[in-house]
Amino acid sequence: MSNVKILVVDDSSTMRRIIKNTLQKIGFENSVEAENGIDALSKLKAGGFNLILTDWNMPEMDGLTFVKSVRGSDTFKMIPVIMITTEAAKTEVVEALKQGVNDYIVKPFTPEALKAKVTRFISA
Amino acid sequence: MNVDMINSFINATVNALTTMAMLTVTRGSPYIKTTDENEFNRDISAIIGMAGDANGWVAFCLQRQLAVKIAANMLGEEKQEIDADVRDAVGEIVNMIAGGAKGELTQRGFSFKIALPTVVIGDNHELSRVKDFPYIVIPFATEEGNFTVEVCLKTNKI
Ligand SMILES: [Mg+2]
Repeated sequence: MSNVKILVVDDSSTMRRIIKNTLQKIGFENSVEAENGIDALSKLKAGGFNLILTDWNMPEMDGLTFVKSVRGSDTFKMIPVIMITTEAAKTEVVEALKQGVNDYIVKPFTPEALKAKVTRFISA
Repeated sequence: MNVDMINSFINATVNALTTMAMLTVTRGSPYIKTTDENEFNRDISAIIGMAGDANGWVAFCLQRQLAVKIAANMLGEEKQEIDADVRDAVGEIVNMIAGGAKGELTQRGFSFKIALPTVVIGDNHELSRVKDFPYIVIPFATEEGNFTVEVCLKTNKI
């Protein structure tokens, strides 16, 4: 089993399960779920994360604000972040990259697309 | 609202349901809703607001059987009843419909924000239209049942 640890942040429990199941199928068993940015920041404190997959539109704290916090933190700023969102507009993608998102996946996505993006940053 | 706008909602709907729920989707002819009566009897609707150059909302309205099937297909699990998973799944689909349409419309110069989805359950519930806003119903069919995407939207631009 891979010791890679992934944080999956999405307010939709359906999306978190789809993402977790896909990660599991490609050999990443160790993923932790968070429901929004605030929850994600608190889960990050456990340490040891190699990758963050985060939604954008979420209550409490949205994904963009969350990414800004991560990039502003000495402890977490080096963790790669892939944003997985329904925000398909080019202007939004540019904004996310500017805030420090490393890669971007537009929902709806196929398991293959998720696999291709994730394995750019980590290997099982 | 014009044909381009309607088409962007149609494209986003087909894309979301074929990719995430593995359904074959056929669309009918869109029509303007003029009365409060529903032509399509629905059990569950997921609605999402939009604000900016386009103002209003888009709703994904469906019957129990199809809603349950969509959640089951998305999660890869058997499902029988409308539960928290089904609510969440249809909410996320309307999110993808709004986001996908926004992607296309932004390229045509419309800038707007989308809100968080809400889900309404109830036998043939009514969605409240925004006064004087155009209200378009787009009917769709799948092998698991019919549904509508309803758009009540006013734009600041043509
Ligand atoms: Mg979300």
